[in-house]
Amino acid sequence: MDIRGLVLINSEAEPETEPNRFGGVPLGLLDVAGKSALMRTAERLRTFGVGPVTAVIEDFSSVPARGIAPGEPGLTSTFTSRDRFWRTAENAFNELVQTGAEIVILIKIGAYQEMDFEKFVQLHLDNNSRVSQLSYEGQPLEVFCISASRRNDAASLFRTRLSKCRVDCPLVELDGYFNPLRNAGDLRDFAIDILSLRTETCPSGIQMKPGVWVAPGAHIEKGARVIAPAFIGSGARIRSGSVITRCTSVERHAQVDCGTVVENSSLLANCYLGAGLDLAHSVAGMGIIANLRRGATALISDYKLIRSTSQAVTPNFLSSARELVSFLPRQLWRGMFGSRVQQPDLNVTLHQTSPALGKAAGYEAPACNTGAADEFPNLVAVRTHGNQ
Amino acid sequence: MEINSRPVVVKRMPERVNARTAREFMQALRPFLVTDRPQLVLDLSQVVRLDAAGVEMLLSCMSAAHKRDGDLKLAAPSPQAYVVLELTRTERLFEIYDTSSDAVRSFSGFLPNTMRQQLLHKRTPTISAA
Repeated sequence: MDIRGLVLINSEAEPETEPNRFGGVPLGLLDVAGKSALMRTAERLRTFGVGPVTAVIEDFSSVPARGIAPGEPGLTSTFTSRDRFWRTAENAFNELVQTGAEIVILIKIGAYQEMDFEKFVQLHLDNNSRVSQLSYEGQPLEVFCISASRRNDAASLFRTRLSKCRVDCPLVELDGYFNPLRNAGDLRDFAIDILSLRTETCPSGIQMKPGVWVAPGAHIEKGARVIAPAFIGSGARIRSGSVITRCTSVERHAQVDCGTVVENSSLLANCYLGAGLDLAHSVAGMGIIANLRRGATALISDYKLIRSTSQAVTPNFLSSARELVSFLPRQLWRGMFGSRVQQPDLNVTLHQTSPALGKAAGYEAPACNTGAADEFPNLVAVRTHGNQ
Repeated sequence: MEINSRPVVVKRMPERVNARTAREFMQALRPFLVTDRPQLVLDLSQVVRLDAAGVEMLLSCMSAAHKRDGDLKLAAPSPQAYVVLELTRTERLFEIYDTSSDAVRSFSGFLPNTMRQQLLHKRTPTISAA
Protein backbone atom coordinates (compact mmCIF):
# COMPACT_ATOMS: atom_id res chain seq x y z
CA MET A 1 0.00 0.00 0.00
CA ASP A 2 1.33 3.43 -0.98
CA ILE A 3 1.24 5.65 2.09
CA ARG A 4 2.64 9.18 1.84
CA GLY A 5 3.25 11.88 4.44
CA LEU A 6 2.36 15.57 4.33
CA VAL A 7 3.74 17.81 7.08
CA LEU A 8 2.63 21.42 7.50
CA ILE A 9 4.25 24.27 9.42
CA ASN A 10 2.65 27.69 9.41
CA SER A 11 1.48 30.52 11.61
CA GLU A 12 -2.14 31.45 12.19
CA ALA A 13 -1.51 34.77 13.91
CA GLU A 14 0.96 37.62 14.02
CA PRO A 15 4.52 36.47 14.79
CA GLU A 16 4.75 38.58 17.93
CA THR A 17 1.47 37.39 19.41
CA GLU A 18 1.63 33.72 18.58
CA PRO A 19 2.89 31.71 21.51
CA ASN A 20 4.43 28.74 19.71
CA ARG A 21 7.39 30.74 18.43
CA PHE A 22 10.81 31.73 19.69
CA GLY A 23 12.33 34.84 18.15
CA GLY A 24 9.72 34.70 15.40
CA VAL A 25 10.55 31.12 14.44
CA PRO A 26 8.02 28.31 14.96
CA LEU A 27 9.21 25.92 17.66
CA GLY A 28 8.77 23.01 15.25
CA LEU A 29 11.65 24.37 13.13
CA LEU A 30 14.11 24.84 15.97
CA ASP A 31 16.73 22.18 16.56
CA VAL A 32 16.38 20.17 19.75
CA ALA A 33 19.25 17.78 20.47
CA GLY A 34 20.37 18.03 16.87
CA LYS A 35 17.13 17.89 14.91
CA SER A 36 13.94 19.89 14.69
CA ALA A 37 10.50 18.47 15.45
CA LEU A 38 9.83 18.61 11.70
CA MET A 39 12.90 16.47 10.94
CA ARG A 40 12.06 14.04 13.72
CA THR A 41 8.49 13.68 12.47
CA ALA A 42 9.69 13.08 8.89
CA GLU A 43 12.24 10.56 10.19
CA ARG A 44 9.54 8.76 12.18
CA LEU A 45 7.21 8.60 9.19
CA ARG A 46 10.00 7.04 7.14
CA THR A 47 10.67 4.51 9.92
CA PHE A 48 7.09 3.28 9.53
CA GLY A 49 7.45 3.03 5.77
CA VAL A 50 5.58 6.24 5.05
CA GLY A 51 7.29 8.00 2.20
CA PRO A 52 8.20 10.13 0.48
CA VAL A 53 7.32 12.95 2.88
CA THR A 54 6.39 16.43 1.64
CA ALA A 55 6.70 19.44 3.94
CA VAL A 56 4.85 22.67 3.26
CA ILE A 57 6.48 25.47 5.25
CA GLU A 58 5.39 29.07 5.49
CA ASP A 59 8.26 31.31 4.40
CA PHE A 60 8.80 33.45 7.47
CA SER A 61 9.90 36.89 6.34
CA SER A 62 11.79 37.72 9.54
CA VAL A 63 13.92 34.60 9.59
CA PRO A 64 15.30 32.63 6.65
CA ALA A 65 13.44 29.36 7.19
CA ARG A 66 15.68 27.54 4.74
CA GLY A 67 18.63 28.09 7.03
CA ILE A 68 16.73 26.72 9.99
CA ALA A 69 15.35 23.61 8.42
CA PRO A 70 18.14 22.09 6.37
CA GLY A 71 17.12 19.57 3.77
CA GLU A 72 17.03 15.91 4.70
CA PRO A 73 16.98 12.93 2.35
CA GLY A 74 13.45 11.74 1.64
CA LEU A 75 11.92 15.07 2.62
CA THR A 76 10.72 17.47 -0.05
CA SER A 77 10.24 20.99 1.28
CA THR A 78 7.99 23.61 -0.30
CA PHE A 79 8.14 27.17 0.97
CA THR A 80 5.17 29.41 0.46
CA SER A 81 3.76 32.74 1.60
CA ARG A 82 1.22 32.97 4.38
CA ASP A 83 -1.75 33.90 2.18
CA ARG A 84 -1.10 31.01 -0.23
CA PHE A 85 -0.25 28.46 2.46
CA TRP A 86 -3.49 26.45 2.55
CA ARG A 87 -3.85 26.49 -1.23
CA THR A 88 -0.27 25.15 -1.54
CA ALA A 89 -1.00 22.48 1.06
CA GLU A 90 -4.09 21.36 -0.87
CA ASN A 91 -2.09 21.30 -4.12
CA ALA A 92 0.63 19.24 -2.41
CA PHE A 93 -2.04 16.75 -1.26
CA ASN A 94 -3.49 16.52 -4.78
CA GLU A 95 -0.03 15.97 -6.20
CA LEU A 96 0.56 13.08 -3.80
CA VAL A 97 -2.73 11.53 -4.85
CA GLN A 98 -1.94 11.95 -8.55
CA THR A 99 1.42 10.25 -8.13
CA GLY A 100 -0.24 7.13 -6.73
CA ALA A 101 -0.73 7.64 -2.98
CA GLU A 102 -3.55 5.56 -1.50
CA ILE A 103 -3.41 6.98 2.01
CA VAL A 104 -1.94 10.31 3.13
CA ILE A 105 -0.92 11.00 6.70
CA LEU A 106 -1.33 14.72 7.31
CA ILE A 107 0.49 16.28 10.28
CA LYS A 108 0.52 19.91 11.30
CA ILE A 109 3.42 20.86 13.59
CA GLY A 110 2.59 22.14 16.28
CA ALA A 111 2.73 19.49 18.77
CA TYR A 112 5.22 16.65 18.55
CA GLN A 113 3.84 13.15 19.00
CA GLU A 114 5.17 9.65 18.62
CA MET A 115 2.32 7.65 17.15
CA ASP A 116 2.58 4.13 15.92
CA PHE A 117 1.59 5.06 12.37
CA GLU A 118 1.17 1.42 11.37
CA LYS A 119 -1.49 1.03 14.04
CA PHE A 120 -3.06 4.35 13.06
CA VAL A 121 -3.43 3.30 9.42
CA GLN A 122 -4.69 -0.14 10.41
CA LEU A 123 -7.44 1.39 12.61
CA HIS A 124 -8.31 3.77 9.77
CA LEU A 125 -8.72 0.85 7.39
CA ASP A 126 -10.58 -1.33 9.92
CA ASN A 127 -13.10 1.47 10.58
CA ASN A 128 -13.49 1.95 6.84
CA SER A 129 -13.17 5.69 7.49
CA ARG A 130 -12.63 8.45 4.98
CA VAL A 131 -10.68 10.59 7.47
CA SER A 132 -9.36 9.53 10.89
CA GLN A 133 -7.98 11.94 13.47
CA LEU A 134 -5.49 11.43 16.29
CA SER A 135 -6.36 12.54 19.81
CA TYR A 136 -4.50 12.86 23.08
CA GLU A 137 -6.44 12.54 26.35
CA GLY A 138 -9.64 13.10 24.41
CA GLN A 139 -8.43 16.29 22.73
CA PRO A 140 -8.17 16.10 18.92
CA LEU A 141 -4.71 16.70 17.48
CA GLU A 142 -3.90 18.06 14.04
CA VAL A 143 -2.85 14.64 12.78
CA PHE A 144 -5.06 12.95 10.17
CA CYS A 145 -5.12 9.80 8.14
CA ILE A 146 -6.91 10.53 4.84
CA SER A 147 -7.99 8.07 2.18
CA ALA A 148 -6.61 9.49 -1.05
CA SER A 149 -9.77 8.73 -3.00
CA ARG A 150 -11.68 11.19 -0.76
CA ARG A 151 -10.37 14.38 -2.29
CA ASN A 152 -13.44 16.42 -1.42
CA ASP A 153 -13.18 15.50 2.26
CA ALA A 154 -9.52 16.52 2.20
CA ALA A 155 -10.37 19.76 0.39
CA SER A 156 -12.95 20.68 3.05
CA LEU A 157 -10.35 19.97 5.71
CA PHE A 158 -7.77 22.27 4.08
CA ARG A 159 -10.33 25.03 3.44
CA THR A 160 -11.34 25.08 7.10
CA ARG A 161 -7.65 25.09 8.13
CA LEU A 162 -7.96 21.60 9.65
CA SER A 163 -10.64 22.77 12.06
CA LYS A 164 -13.61 20.92 10.54
CA CYS A 165 -14.18 17.96 8.29
CA ARG A 166 -17.42 17.47 6.37
CA VAL A 167 -17.64 13.86 7.53
CA ASP A 168 -17.30 12.47 11.04
CA CYS A 169 -13.67 11.72 11.89
CA PRO A 170 -13.25 8.81 14.29
CA LEU A 171 -10.69 9.73 16.96
CA VAL A 172 -7.74 7.43 17.55
CA GLU A 173 -6.11 7.84 20.93
CA LEU A 174 -2.36 8.46 20.98
CA ASP A 175 -0.49 5.94 23.10
CA GLY A 176 3.02 7.29 22.65
CA TYR A 177 5.01 10.36 23.68
CA PHE A 178 3.37 13.77 23.31
CA ASN A 179 4.71 17.31 23.69
CA PRO A 180 2.47 20.27 22.81
CA LEU A 181 5.49 22.49 21.88
CA ARG A 182 3.55 25.64 22.74
CA ASN A 183 6.28 27.70 24.39
CA ALA A 184 9.95 27.80 25.39
CA GLY A 185 9.19 25.64 28.45
CA ASP A 186 7.81 22.88 26.22
CA LEU A 187 10.90 23.15 24.00
CA ARG A 188 13.08 22.73 27.05
CA ASP A 189 10.99 19.76 28.25
CA PHE A 190 11.39 18.22 24.81
CA ALA A 191 15.19 18.49 25.07
CA ILE A 192 15.13 16.97 28.58
CA ASP A 193 12.87 14.12 27.42
CA ILE A 194 15.13 13.35 24.45
CA LEU A 195 18.30 13.43 26.56
CA SER A 196 16.65 11.34 29.28
CA LEU A 197 15.60 8.82 26.59
CA ARG A 198 11.91 9.18 27.42
CA THR A 199 11.20 9.52 23.73
CA GLU A 200 11.75 6.99 20.98
CA THR A 201 13.68 9.59 19.00
CA CYS A 202 17.31 9.96 20.08
CA PRO A 203 19.82 12.80 20.12
CA SER A 204 21.75 12.97 16.88
CA GLY A 205 25.48 12.32 16.94
CA ILE A 206 27.60 9.80 18.76
CA GLN A 207 27.35 8.93 22.42
CA MET A 208 30.93 9.75 23.47
CA LYS A 209 30.37 8.62 27.05
CA PRO A 210 27.17 7.57 28.82
CA GLY A 211 24.66 10.39 28.43
CA VAL A 212 26.91 12.73 26.43
CA TRP A 213 26.05 12.99 22.73
CA VAL A 214 28.42 14.83 20.44
CA ALA A 215 27.60 15.51 16.79
CA PRO A 216 30.35 15.42 14.13
CA GLY A 217 32.42 18.61 13.94
CA ALA A 218 31.76 19.67 17.52
CA HIS A 219 34.84 21.07 19.24
CA ILE A 220 35.19 20.68 22.99
CA GLU A 221 38.36 22.39 24.15
CA LYS A 222 40.66 20.94 26.74
CA GLY A 223 39.58 22.09 30.19
CA ALA A 224 35.88 22.28 29.33
CA ARG A 225 33.57 19.95 31.24
CA VAL A 226 30.53 18.29 29.75
CA ILE A 227 28.48 16.47 32.38
CA ALA A 228 25.84 13.94 31.33
CA PRO A 229 23.18 14.15 30.14
CA ALA A 230 24.14 16.72 27.54
CA PHE A 231 24.20 17.26 23.79
CA ILE A 232 26.77 19.18 21.74
CA GLY A 233 25.69 19.87 18.15
CA SER A 234 27.71 19.79 14.95
CA GLY A 235 30.18 22.66 14.61
CA ALA A 236 29.48 23.80 18.16
CA ARG A 237 32.43 25.05 20.18
CA ILE A 238 32.81 24.68 23.94
CA ARG A 239 35.73 26.76 25.10
CA SER A 240 38.13 26.05 27.90
CA GLY A 241 36.89 26.39 31.48
CA SER A 242 33.22 26.21 30.61
CA VAL A 243 30.80 23.71 32.15
CA ILE A 244 27.85 22.14 30.33
CA THR A 245 25.56 20.25 32.67
CA ARG A 246 22.07 18.98 33.59
CA CYS A 247 20.35 18.12 30.32
CA THR A 248 21.83 21.05 28.44
CA SER A 249 21.68 20.96 24.68
CA VAL A 250 24.09 23.12 22.69
CA GLU A 251 22.85 23.12 19.11
CA ARG A 252 24.80 23.32 15.86
CA HIS A 253 27.36 26.13 15.44
CA ALA A 254 26.64 27.50 18.91
CA GLN A 255 29.59 28.73 20.97
CA VAL A 256 30.10 28.79 24.71
CA ASP A 257 32.97 31.07 25.65
CA CYS A 258 35.54 30.55 28.39
CA GLY A 259 34.42 30.02 31.97
CA THR A 260 30.70 30.06 31.27
CA VAL A 261 28.39 27.66 33.09
CA VAL A 262 25.37 26.40 31.15
CA GLU A 263 22.99 24.47 33.34
CA ASN A 264 19.62 22.96 32.40
CA SER A 265 19.41 25.15 29.31
CA SER A 266 19.00 24.98 25.57
CA LEU A 267 21.41 27.01 23.49
CA LEU A 268 19.87 27.35 20.05
CA ALA A 269 21.70 27.03 16.75
CA ASN A 270 24.23 29.76 15.78
CA CYS A 271 24.15 31.32 19.24
CA TYR A 272 27.24 32.76 20.93
CA LEU A 273 27.28 32.93 24.72
CA GLY A 274 29.91 35.25 26.20
CA ALA A 275 32.70 34.51 28.66
CA GLY A 276 32.24 34.09 32.39
CA LEU A 277 28.45 33.94 32.36
CA ASP A 278 25.97 31.74 34.17
CA LEU A 279 23.03 30.53 32.11
CA ALA A 280 20.56 28.37 33.99
CA HIS A 281 17.00 27.11 33.38
CA SER A 282 16.77 29.00 30.11
CA VAL A 283 16.36 28.80 26.37
CA ALA A 284 18.80 31.16 24.68
CA GLY A 285 19.32 32.19 21.10
CA MET A 286 18.73 34.93 18.53
CA GLY A 287 19.54 37.58 21.14
CA ILE A 288 16.80 36.33 23.46
CA ILE A 289 16.97 34.58 26.82
CA ALA A 290 13.78 32.96 28.06
CA ASN A 291 14.31 32.22 31.73
CA LEU A 292 11.88 29.47 32.62
CA ARG A 293 12.25 29.75 36.39
CA ARG A 294 11.34 33.46 36.35
CA GLY A 295 8.94 33.16 33.41
CA ALA A 296 10.70 36.13 31.81
CA THR A 297 12.00 36.76 28.33
CA ALA A 298 14.86 39.22 28.04
CA LEU A 299 15.99 40.73 24.76
CA ILE A 300 19.73 41.26 24.88
CA SER A 301 21.44 43.55 22.43
CA ASP A 302 24.87 43.35 24.06
CA TYR A 303 27.23 41.35 21.86
CA LYS A 304 29.47 40.56 24.81
CA LEU A 305 26.69 38.56 26.48
CA ILE A 306 24.78 36.81 23.71
CA ARG A 307 24.58 37.13 19.95
CA SER A 308 23.89 35.18 16.80
CA THR A 309 26.93 33.95 14.95
CA SER A 310 27.00 34.25 11.19
CA GLN A 311 25.45 31.38 9.27
CA ALA A 312 27.11 32.41 6.03
CA VAL A 313 30.21 30.47 5.02
CA THR A 314 32.16 33.37 3.48
CA PRO A 315 32.40 35.68 6.53
CA ASN A 316 33.30 32.73 8.76
CA PHE A 317 35.98 31.60 6.31
CA LEU A 318 37.42 35.11 5.93
CA SER A 319 37.46 35.60 9.68
CA SER A 320 39.29 32.30 10.23
CA ALA A 321 41.75 33.07 7.41
CA ARG A 322 42.50 36.52 8.87
CA GLU A 323 43.16 34.96 12.28
CA LEU A 324 45.46 32.35 10.74
CA VAL A 325 47.46 34.80 8.61
CA SER A 326 47.92 37.34 11.39
CA PHE A 327 48.82 34.78 14.06
CA LEU A 328 52.56 34.46 13.32
CA PRO A 329 53.26 38.22 12.87
CA ARG A 330 51.38 38.94 16.08
CA GLN A 331 53.40 36.37 18.00
CA LEU A 332 56.67 37.76 16.58
CA TRP A 333 55.65 41.32 17.44
CA ARG A 334 54.65 40.28 20.93
CA GLY A 335 57.91 38.38 21.41
CA MET A 336 60.11 41.28 20.27
CA PHE A 337 58.33 44.34 21.58
CA GLY A 338 55.59 43.19 23.91
CA SER A 339 56.02 43.40 27.66
CA ARG A 340 55.96 40.19 29.63
CA VAL A 341 52.49 39.50 30.92
CA GLN A 342 52.46 39.22 34.68
CA GLN A 343 50.64 36.25 36.14
CA PRO A 344 47.55 37.60 37.92
CA ASP A 345 47.55 37.44 41.66
CA LEU A 346 45.23 34.73 42.95
CA ASN A 347 43.68 37.10 45.45
CA VAL A 348 42.88 39.53 42.63
CA THR A 349 41.49 36.72 40.50
CA LEU A 350 39.20 35.64 43.30
CA HIS A 351 37.78 39.17 43.46
CA GLN A 352 36.83 39.20 39.81
CA THR A 353 33.32 38.87 38.44
CA SER A 354 32.42 38.23 34.84
CA PRO A 355 35.05 39.31 32.26
CA ALA A 356 32.12 40.54 30.15
CA LEU A 357 31.70 43.39 32.61
CA GLY A 358 34.92 45.17 31.65
CA LYS A 359 36.63 47.31 34.26
CA ALA A 360 33.91 46.73 36.84
CA ALA A 361 35.23 43.18 37.06
CA GLY A 362 37.76 44.58 39.50
CA TYR A 363 35.03 45.23 41.99
CA GLU A 364 36.21 45.02 45.56
CA ALA A 365 33.75 42.50 46.93
CA PRO A 366 34.77 38.95 46.05
CA ALA A 367 32.65 37.19 43.47
CA CYS A 368 33.22 33.87 45.12
CA ASN A 369 33.28 34.96 48.70
CA THR A 370 34.72 31.95 50.36
CA GLY A 371 35.84 33.92 53.39
CA ALA A 372 39.14 32.12 53.25
CA ALA A 373 40.56 34.19 50.40
CA ASP A 374 42.25 36.71 52.70
CA GLU A 375 43.46 34.12 55.16
CA PHE A 376 44.88 31.79 52.53
CA PRO A 377 46.05 33.86 49.57
CA ASN A 378 47.15 30.81 47.62
CA LEU A 379 43.78 29.10 47.88
CA VAL A 380 42.13 28.57 44.53
CA ALA A 381 38.34 28.34 44.56
CA VAL A 382 36.99 26.54 41.55
CA ARG A 383 33.29 26.59 40.84
CA THR A 384 32.37 23.24 39.40
CA HIS A 385 28.74 23.72 38.43
CA GLY A 386 25.45 24.92 39.83
CA ASN A 387 25.79 26.27 43.31
CA GLN A 388 28.63 24.01 44.34
CA MET B 1 15.74 56.63 69.01
CA GLU B 2 16.57 58.13 65.62
CA ILE B 3 19.09 55.74 64.23
CA ASN B 4 19.56 57.10 60.75
CA SER B 5 18.93 60.71 59.84
CA ARG B 6 20.92 60.78 56.61
CA PRO B 7 18.89 60.97 53.41
CA VAL B 8 18.36 57.94 51.21
CA VAL B 9 18.42 58.76 47.52
CA VAL B 10 16.07 56.73 45.36
CA LYS B 11 16.66 56.85 41.60
CA ARG B 12 14.67 55.09 38.95
CA MET B 13 16.73 53.55 36.17
CA PRO B 14 15.71 54.06 32.53
CA GLU B 15 13.96 51.42 30.43
CA ARG B 16 17.02 50.68 28.33
CA VAL B 17 20.41 50.69 29.97
CA ASN B 18 23.14 50.56 27.35
CA ALA B 19 26.60 52.16 27.28
CA ARG B 20 25.24 55.66 26.52
CA THR B 21 22.34 55.70 28.99
CA ALA B 22 24.53 54.11 31.66
CA ARG B 23 27.06 56.92 31.25
CA GLU B 24 24.33 59.56 31.47
CA PHE B 25 22.80 57.89 34.50
CA MET B 26 26.20 57.70 36.18
CA GLN B 27 26.70 61.43 35.57
CA ALA B 28 23.34 62.13 37.21
CA LEU B 29 24.24 59.94 40.14
CA ARG B 30 27.75 61.38 40.69
CA PRO B 31 26.72 64.28 43.00
CA PHE B 32 25.14 61.79 45.39
CA LEU B 33 28.09 59.41 45.27
CA VAL B 34 30.61 62.04 46.36
CA THR B 35 28.73 62.88 49.57
CA ASP B 36 29.76 61.39 52.90
CA ARG B 37 28.34 57.89 53.44
CA PRO B 38 25.93 57.96 50.49
CA GLN B 39 22.81 55.83 50.76
CA LEU B 40 21.39 54.96 47.37
CA VAL B 41 18.49 52.89 46.14
CA LEU B 42 18.18 52.17 42.43
CA ASP B 43 14.71 51.23 41.27
CA LEU B 44 14.97 48.74 38.41
CA SER B 45 11.25 48.20 37.93
CA GLN B 46 11.18 50.00 34.56
CA VAL B 47 14.24 48.31 33.12
CA VAL B 48 13.42 46.28 30.03
CA ARG B 49 16.89 45.97 28.52
CA LEU B 50 20.05 45.84 30.57
CA ASP B 51 23.46 45.52 28.95
CA ALA B 52 26.82 44.58 30.42
CA ALA B 53 27.54 48.33 30.45
CA GLY B 54 24.55 48.78 32.76
CA VAL B 55 25.74 46.05 35.11
CA GLU B 56 29.22 47.59 35.06
CA MET B 57 27.69 50.94 35.99
CA LEU B 58 25.82 49.35 38.91
CA LEU B 59 29.04 47.78 40.17
CA SER B 60 30.94 51.04 39.77
CA CYS B 61 28.24 52.89 41.74
CA MET B 62 28.36 50.33 44.53
CA SER B 63 32.15 50.46 44.58
CA ALA B 64 32.06 54.28 44.80
CA ALA B 65 29.44 54.15 47.57
CA HIS B 66 31.44 51.61 49.57
CA LYS B 67 34.58 53.75 49.28
CA ARG B 68 32.74 56.48 51.19
CA ASP B 69 31.31 54.02 53.71
CA GLY B 70 27.90 54.17 52.07
CA ASP B 71 25.83 51.54 50.33
CA LEU B 72 23.82 50.95 47.18
CA LYS B 73 20.78 48.72 47.11
CA LEU B 74 18.57 47.60 44.28
CA ALA B 75 14.79 47.63 44.39
CA ALA B 76 12.02 45.94 42.41
CA PRO B 77 14.13 44.59 39.57
CA SER B 78 12.06 43.67 36.54
CA PRO B 79 12.28 40.02 35.47
CA GLN B 80 14.37 41.08 32.46
CA ALA B 81 16.85 42.91 34.70
CA TYR B 82 16.99 39.92 37.03
CA VAL B 83 17.77 37.61 34.09
CA VAL B 84 20.80 39.75 33.16
CA LEU B 85 21.98 40.09 36.76
CA GLU B 86 21.82 36.31 37.14
CA LEU B 87 23.50 35.77 33.79
CA THR B 88 26.46 37.96 34.81
CA ARG B 89 26.60 36.40 38.28
CA THR B 90 26.21 39.80 39.93
CA GLU B 91 22.82 39.36 41.64
CA ARG B 92 24.59 37.92 44.69
CA LEU B 93 26.70 41.07 45.11
CA PHE B 94 23.74 43.40 45.64
CA GLU B 95 21.13 43.67 48.33
CA ILE B 96 17.90 43.37 46.35
CA TYR B 97 14.48 44.31 47.75
CA ASP B 98 10.99 43.82 46.36
CA THR B 99 10.04 47.49 46.63
CA SER B 100 11.83 50.83 46.90
CA SER B 101 10.27 51.51 50.30
CA ASP B 102 11.60 48.18 51.61
CA ALA B 103 15.06 49.14 50.37
CA VAL B 104 14.83 52.60 52.00
CA ARG B 105 13.61 51.09 55.25
CA SER B 106 16.52 48.65 55.27
CA PHE B 107 18.94 51.56 55.66
CA SER B 108 17.34 52.62 58.94
CA GLY B 109 17.17 49.04 60.11
CA PHE B 110 20.93 48.73 60.30
CA LEU B 111 23.45 50.95 61.97
CA PRO B 112 26.29 52.47 59.96
CA ASN B 113 29.43 50.41 60.03
CA THR B 114 31.38 52.76 62.31
CA MET B 115 28.62 52.90 64.92
CA ARG B 116 28.14 49.15 64.73
CA GLN B 117 31.83 48.57 65.33
CA GLN B 118 31.78 50.91 68.35
CA LEU B 119 28.72 49.23 69.82
CA LEU B 120 30.09 45.77 69.24
CA HIS B 121 33.33 46.80 70.92
CA LYS B 122 31.44 48.07 73.98
CA ARG B 123 29.17 45.03 74.26
CA THR B 124 31.80 42.34 73.77
CA PRO B 125 32.86 41.09 77.20
CA THR B 126 36.58 41.25 77.81
CA ILE B 127 38.15 37.89 78.38
CA SER B 128 41.11 38.18 80.64
CA ALA B 129 43.83 35.64 80.38
CA ALA B 130 44.28 33.55 83.48
